[in-house]
Amino acid sequence: MKKSNIGILLGSMCCLLTIGICVQVKTVSSTTTTVGRTQMENGLRDSVLRWKEKYDNAYAKLEKEEKELENLREQASNTDDSASDMSNRLSEYNSLLGYTSLKGTGIVVTLDDGEATTTKMLTSDIIVHDADLLEVVNDLKNSGAEAIAINDQRIVSTTAITCAGNIIKINGEKVGAPFVIHAIGPTLKMYGAITRPGGYLELLEEVGVKVKVEQVEKSTIEVPKYEGAYKFEYATNVE
Amino acid sequence: MKGKITMIISIGCTAFILTMIMFTQFKTVEKTDITAIETMREAELRTELADWKVKYEEIETRLTDAEAKVNEYQSQLANNAESSKILENEVADAEKYLGYTNLHGEGIVITLQDNDMYNIEYTDLLNLVNELNIAGAEAISINEERVVSMTDIVLINNRIVLVNGKRISGPYEVKAIGDKKYLESAITIKGGYKDRTEAEGKTISYTSENNIIIPAYQGNLTLEYAEVVKDEN
Repeated sequence: MKKSNIGILLGSMCCLLTIGICVQVKTVSSTTTTVGRTQMENGLRDSVLRWKEKYDNAYAKLEKEEKELENLREQASNTDDSASDMSNRLSEYNSLLGYTSLKGTGIVVTLDDGEATTTKMLTSDIIVHDADLLEVVNDLKNSGAEAIAINDQRIVSTTAITCAGNIIKINGEKVGAPFVIHAIGPTLKMYGAITRPGGYLELLEEVGVKVKVEQVEKSTIEVPKYEGAYKFEYATNVE
Repeated sequence: MKGKITMIISIGCTAFILTMIMFTQFKTVEKTDITAIETMREAELRTELADWKVKYEEIETRLTDAEAKVNEYQSQLANNAESSKILENEVADAEKYLGYTNLHGEGIVITLQDNDMYNIEYTDLLNLVNELNIAGAEAISINEERVVSMTDIVLINNRIVLVNGKRISGPYEVKAIGDKKYLESAITIKGGYKDRTEAEGKTISYTSENNIIIPAYQGNLTLEYAEVVKDEN
């Protein structure tokens, strides 16, 4: 081997290495500028965790109080017949309001964002939107559903389904695809209604959303309770 | 000759080691890049924080409510007084929330009307109810049909709208009780429901009022298929 060859080889190697190191130094220095921000974020993250903890504590306490209340109601209803009548009615109302978890036969509808297989497909078409969930829930109610939950969020009268950017919120709680909708009610009727030709689910499937519908007849499905609260500040009973 | 070979080998080795170091460096940088993603989440963290605060407040009101009731029951039971009074109140509250009573209060009245070009569709009503719920509506009715938890809004024969299984027709008057300022701004915000509806060529008008009356639900909510899950603990 000639000396000049070695020289060229060494030179180019050194050059490459230097470039590599320079690139590295640049990248590293640009990431260090974010350190300050990260600190603020850690503060934010801490307070998020603190509030979550406060919530968890309050929730645990609430569950205890509600159990206590249940006991007291029972004691109170032992005193006379009209009271026991009333307490039965109250527990039924609480179920209807969504304050208890319910189980029964029904159907499970799963909606998931599709994948673009052809370039003709639009991304906005193949993802599941808030309006899609509204439509499916409405269809289920129409076919006799008694209790519905989307990704464990119970649907009650004041439930709002919102879309903020690419996040869907139900009852103020973030939910994401795949959306699993549990509905307790007449299985066959709901199934027939929701999978009918020309129905909303068929439409969704055509544009590329992944749709799955299961009937649960033999076992039961569970719909969890509503974790929010009804609070009427403006509405009062008409006397 | 021998010296040359050892030189080449040693240079080769050094180059190799340097390259290795560089690669590990790249890897580490890639990992530290996570911090960059985390900075993107700052806004998300803020909304998360606000969400937890709201949730906490909700639970807190329920908690104080439950505590007050427990106290009431306890004192009533201790005094051997008529405990059914408290039960009565609880039942009355539940009936109010379920939609079994006529309600009144401040709020907004929105009227959707078919025009020569476009008809109001059931989805317009479905979305409007959702928008009003987002704005914190406490009670909603469509042409005097109360919207309850299992209310459906459907179209039959492409022309007739059913709410709660009852036939209604335009003009559709949607009433909502709640913070009227909040409800109004939720509907009239730029690019909001009113703008979108008008952009589709449909006719919409609204008034915010101090005393709206929303009628009770006429049906009966029942559970035939669903039963309560008993707590294991």
